[in-house]
Amino acid sequence: MNRPHSLTEYIFLTAAVCSGLLTAAVFIFLLIFSLPLLENGQLTDLLLSSWAPDKGMYGIYPMLMASLTLACLSLSISFPISLGCSFVITALAPARLRRLLLSMVRLMTGIPTVVYSFAALFLLVPLMRNILGQGSGMCILTAAPVLALLIAPTMIIFFVNSFANVPRSATLAVDALGGSEIQKLLYVMIPQAWPGIINGVLLGFGRAMGDTMVSLMLAGNSVSPFNSLTQSARSLTAHIALVMAFDFDSMEFKSIFVCGLFLYIVTALLMLLLRMTTLYFSGKR
Amino acid sequence: MESPIKISTQALCFYYHQQQVLHDISLQLPTNRITAITGPSGSGKSTFLMILNRLWEEIEGCSISGKVTVELDGRLQDINNKALPARVLRRKVGMVFQQPNPLPMSIFKNISFPLRLAHISDKNQTGHAVENALRQVHLWDEVKDRLNDDGRRLSGGQQQRLCLARALVLKPEVLLLDEPTSSLDPEASAAIEELLLALKAQCTLIMVSHYQDQIQRIADLRFEVREGRFISPHTEYKSASDV
Repeated sequence: MNRPHSLTEYIFLTAAVCSGLLTAAVFIFLLIFSLPLLENGQLTDLLLSSWAPDKGMYGIYPMLMASLTLACLSLSISFPISLGCSFVITALAPARLRRLLLSMVRLMTGIPTVVYSFAALFLLVPLMRNILGQGSGMCILTAAPVLALLIAPTMIIFFVNSFANVPRSATLAVDALGGSEIQKLLYVMIPQAWPGIINGVLLGFGRAMGDTMVSLMLAGNSVSPFNSLTQSARSLTAHIALVMAFDFDSMEFKSIFVCGLFLYIVTALLMLLLRMTTLYFSGKR
Repeated sequence: MESPIKISTQALCFYYHQQQVLHDISLQLPTNRITAITGPSGSGKSTFLMILNRLWEEIEGCSISGKVTVELDGRLQDINNKALPARVLRRKVGMVFQQPNPLPMSIFKNISFPLRLAHISDKNQTGHAVENALRQVHLWDEVKDRLNDDGRRLSGGQQQRLCLARALVLKPEVLLLDEPTSSLDPEASAAIEELLLALKAQCTLIMVSHYQDQIQRIADLRFEVREGRFISPHTEYKSASDV
């Protein structure tokens, strides 16, 4: 009886160790390939300067800022919408509508990002061009809503699952006290489900930071630092894709490993911060 | 002494999807009395309670037929009449569950929560109401110095008294109790029983219980449910608690 149990444990342990090692290996891989640019004391140059390879400048500052701006902006659009949708699905919609909405949200998670981008290229970009009255219409403000649409289904599913995990006894208590659905959500479900909500936000932010296609097709890809949301910008991921498409052995090519390394570090730090926040408040509750 | 009728049901049937859970129930429950409902698990006792405050509406696939009238604010009201909002009804017909279910908030907020739901926000009024409710369930002395502590950190018996106080803070006319002492030790159960006896002066209590000795101690009336039917006519107990 013990043997299959041990074997199962062994398999799970191996899988856990492998995934941990793989994550560490990716970091080491990126670090090693970033060394040619980092070891000459160019870290601050890389972080704070612009991208001008013809002048020997491989700074990723505009791209880093574009990635962060796009992720934050799309998250700030997507979060209230996703929370509202998950409210409707959880508490307000009748059973049939709830099932329909959930099916649609699940379907949305499977749509390739290129489809969203392609549709936006023909629908949103001309609209933005008309509204702004100048430029191509490809800018941060165009890419952010599409990115918000892209990350919303993941967040909605996370939020709905978190609400579903709120103990039935708590929600029934509010019902028995004469609470409305909104009061139930505000006073009991959100306070109970918020660690899950944070995880959903975290995942949404990670997806927004890591997405390539939307920013590549819609943000305009300018490597100049931007000072307005209506300006063209290039995200770190789009930068990696564009450099890789034309090069494979130059300093420009090596610089994309630094981009990867920063994406990795930013995402990891954010995850760590949010996990610590969740743990801290879970302990206080 | 005869009590006026608080709740009456006529040909009440209850269905969960295609299954009939309660069959043709017609009975009358007196005001300011403790009515006990007993019977085997799954016979429909808790379902009957959930009909009286329309909590069944929160469960998918439930339907009802027949009539239930409750005397509220001196008027007989058909509780299934949609003109009577479930929220209003539930503030008049409180409920305490088998398992204590304090909300994820402080002791003070747990008790003041129903007031907040009823849009009563006056701080003085809330403070007094919370203190009164906690005194009523004999919990005030135990928690008065830690009203900001999480309600879930209290002992089982204290949690159940907290839930009772929460149900009482809006001064309900009817209190439904679904096996309120089944998860408690004998000492905590005795404290709750004492409370219920004291409470019947101010409201009508309908209690589901498996414990015959408890029913004999505190109930004025007893109904037995089997397979969704109230099979025994009510039995009057010569309770020392008669008002």
